[in-house]
Amino acid sequence: MTDRLSFLKIDQVGFAYHGDAPILADVSLSLAPGDFHCLVGRSGCGKTSLLKIVGGLLTPTSGSVSITGMPVNGPSRQVGFVFQTPSLLEWRTVLDNVLLPIALHRSVNPSDYDRANDLLSQMGIEDHAERYPHQLSGGQQSRVALARALITEPSLLLMDEPFAALDAITREDLQNDLLWLAQTQGTTILFVTHDIAEAVYLSSHVSIMQAGCIARSMTIDLPNRQQGGGRYHPKIIKLCNEIRAALMPIAGARMP
Amino acid sequence: MIGSRLTSISLLVVLVLIWEGWLALTDVSALLVPPPSAVMVVLWTGLTQGFLWPHIWVTVIETLLGFALGSTIGFAFGVLLSEVSFLRRIVWPYILASQVVPKLALGPILIVWFGFGLTSIIIITALICFFPLLENTVTGVRSAPPDQRDLFRVLGATRMQTLFRLKIPAGLPLILAGVRVAVVLALVGAVVGEFISGGQGLGASIIAAQGMMDTTLMFALFIIITIIGMLFYQLTIIIERRLLRGWQRRNET
Repeated sequence: MTDRLSFLKIDQVGFAYHGDAPILADVSLSLAPGDFHCLVGRSGCGKTSLLKIVGGLLTPTSGSVSITGMPVNGPSRQVGFVFQTPSLLEWRTVLDNVLLPIALHRSVNPSDYDRANDLLSQMGIEDHAERYPHQLSGGQQSRVALARALITEPSLLLMDEPFAALDAITREDLQNDLLWLAQTQGTTILFVTHDIAEAVYLSSHVSIMQAGCIARSMTIDLPNRQQGGGRYHPKIIKLCNEIRAALMPIAGARMP
Repeated sequence: MIGSRLTSISLLVVLVLIWEGWLALTDVSALLVPPPSAVMVVLWTGLTQGFLWPHIWVTVIETLLGFALGSTIGFAFGVLLSEVSFLRRIVWPYILASQVVPKLALGPILIVWFGFGLTSIIIITALICFFPLLENTVTGVRSAPPDQRDLFRVLGATRMQTLFRLKIPAGLPLILAGVRVAVVLALVGAVVGEFISGGQGLGASIIAAQGMMDTTLMFALFIIITIIGMLFYQLTIIIERRLLRGWQRRNET
């Protein structure tokens, strides 16, 4: 993977909380522009820590992270982050929530409003712009969180199990929205999930994490996923089984 | 909703009637327990002839000034202590200790320092209001969920932006709950402060009525204090509803 043009480079990153056993050990990863890269692993394998290091929320104890050759020393404005919970400000309207990343740095101008409304309508929730988060369903809240992350047009989007709390059908809708938005904006995405099917369906690359290390990385080469139905393509099922086997303590021990 | 309110009003009517009837049937001295009818007459003449109003105003003003002073300082300290954690660790035991001291026991020394009257009472009231605001502000400001805090860090928000746009709004429901407690305590503080130090006000009037064995007037004063307390409480509830329009989700969870 090192021979490809590198956009995000994670170089031998290790991380441990003071005095504790290491959470990450010697993790290296390289993402090309436009990659959709999924980190799959069980709970506690260190995938969220890795994401927070890339986002500048945690400082690695060893190794380094760089984006387009610039080392990451803290949160950067070209990086968007979507959290496990929608984490919307419940006292602000949907529109204000989407505009928050801009409002923290300068006054919001009319073209920002246009863009926010654009994003909301692309996700089919333009009618809810003036509502408060508690008036929205879980799926709608996740869409607002996604719109908020995309409003600054980040070149890198970090996502931490953003759809884990949604029902299966809403999750599929959001996955499709995300794929479409990522492709139209050319955003590079690093996506953490424990859902193997989600990882295979969404990504161009999957890395399997186990006990703070990357156990295996694979390129997912699928026929055009935009045409629907691709979700249950035999090739996807095969890849899912392969990943599931890799995640098992004893390979293939409990394959369904 | 309306049904239960109606029932609760009828309960009051029934209790008052039982009270009145019991006094009529037994020979309990009206000097000890005045009949409700007599209390209402005293209340009515006191309000229409106006001799109660100056006392009401004095107590209301003491309550409001003491509340404003105590809760403002409590809020400001709460924000400071929640932001500067080493300060919180150092100062917290002392604040706690100061709260265990019964504030009214400080009354005599406050009178020595500030003299009889308004100043001492306002300070007692403020001391009582201080703690609920402080405690709820500290808890409230620190209640923003970790994901929201990480969000503000990712977005490059300054410390002040995080405080004013995230932590204080996120803590507002708790802070306002502190206000609700403080308002009620403020009235108690003002009335009892007047017991010790007042020449005017509803608390001072209770002491004066006690001196004259005028239990009827005392009951009339209880009723006025209760009504003032309920009005203040309702007012804070209305303000709370206004301010917390968008917060429902957190209140539900």
